[in-house]
Amino acid sequence: MLKLIQVEFLKLRRRKFIWLMLLAALFMPLAAVFYFASVKGTGVEPIEFYKWTAFSYTPWIILPVVLGMLCTMLMYNENQYDMLKQLWIVPVNKMAYFFSKFAVVLVYSVCFMLITAAASILTGVLPGYIAFDSGSVLYLLRKCMEISLLTAFAVLPILAAAAAQKGYILPVCLTLVYTFLGFILLMVNMYLHPLSSMTAIVMRDIPGVVITQPLNIPGAFLCIGVWGVASVLLAGAALKKRK
Amino acid sequence: MELLLWAERRKLRRSKILWIAGFATVMVALIVFAQGQFTFYESRYIDGAGWFMTAAQSLATFYVLPAVIALLGSYMICREEQEDTLKSLRLIPVDEVKLTLSKMVLALVFSVLIYLLLFAITFLVEAVLHFEALSIGLVLGNLKTYLLDGIGVFFAISPIIALVARMKKGYWLALVFAEIYSFAGLFASMSGQLKTVYPMTAVFNISGYYDASMVQVFIGIIVLLACVVLTLFILKGLNRKAK
Repeated sequence: MLKLIQVEFLKLRRRKFIWLMLLAALFMPLAAVFYFASVKGTGVEPIEFYKWTAFSYTPWIILPVVLGMLCTMLMYNENQYDMLKQLWIVPVNKMAYFFSKFAVVLVYSVCFMLITAAASILTGVLPGYIAFDSGSVLYLLRKCMEISLLTAFAVLPILAAAAAQKGYILPVCLTLVYTFLGFILLMVNMYLHPLSSMTAIVMRDIPGVVITQPLNIPGAFLCIGVWGVASVLLAGAALKKRK
Repeated sequence: MELLLWAERRKLRRSKILWIAGFATVMVALIVFAQGQFTFYESRYIDGAGWFMTAAQSLATFYVLPAVIALLGSYMICREEQEDTLKSLRLIPVDEVKLTLSKMVLALVFSVLIYLLLFAITFLVEAVLHFEALSIGLVLGNLKTYLLDGIGVFFAISPIIALVARMKKGYWLALVFAEIYSFAGLFASMSGQLKTVYPMTAVFNISGYYDASMVQVFIGIIVLLACVVLTLFILKGLNRKAK
């Protein structure tokens, strides 16, 4: 299994677009700079600033879209060059193949959120919007880790859909619809969709966030778990069916 | 050109992309409908006449449809390279700029059709829920907004599709870029000046979703024309690159 994961990372070496996609992590920190420059000014509470840069649209929209695209790319890669047959001949265990892809998504997600965290601190401290203090930085890092790990599990359905498909069109459209659904369900029912459940878990102890629905952390974990297990089963069945 | 358009239309017959784009549009309508169930001051959003039609077009434009339209356009362009038909086309010979332009014209038509489909769905739901509360002016106003959104959004993202035509394999980056580009409109709409010049929000100024002055509409038209000029400029170098 470790070897498979290593091979997956080696495959990424020459795919510069995957690395370029990490630039999307800078979007919200940069948007926050413009926002605070025009509206708030200096002397902002660090958590208030991080809420803008790392705890809002990054986990709601940007990270799921980027991870969804990554899932599609990783799965489509083998199909495009007709490598899957050869992998089955080796033989590579189909579930190990699926989980090695998931490991890449997980690591990528962690890298993405670490970049967001670093950019948040830099864009906050350098122009003087926030004061640098270790407590808030550690809090930011802990939250970014939570977001990255949970989002990677929350996009398992996309990875499964990409594994079940030969093309890239459907998984890409699904990513967009899935992310949008997760975002809208935040206001309706947080415990139906893995992405909104992830938000519920992350937002549970962020000061100043008002959640209109009763907080149900086990329910949120259950939702992510059920969707995750269903996706793994679906991916397993789909990969077994494919020749 | 007419022949190229006909050929492009024929090529899409067996492709699932139109169905998938239609599915994404229907899903967007369903998701916004789910948001309409949210109760605010003891009345649901969906109970307000015209809310569904207005909310669906703005949410769809910020979160989903521009990326779907970029996907449609870039898929039509990239498949020639991927399925190795571009070589045969060059042998005929087919002018690559004209070929790409015909693909873009078709993408424009689909962009308008997708918005009209969304309008048809939202209008039907509104008619079923509260037919008597709908006025002809409201419906026609929304039809105009959807129609202009369809045309405007295509013009706003046309440089991205043109870039894909140049880069061929860069469609992943284009998709992520299209999504972030449309989603950045949310932030652009916070500032009065940026709202006028940012292509995505300029579309809303032109379509009448935002209350805009004549000057803002005029600037919006210039911005979109600039996008078209940029597209043509990017496409101009295509033939030279092919050699």
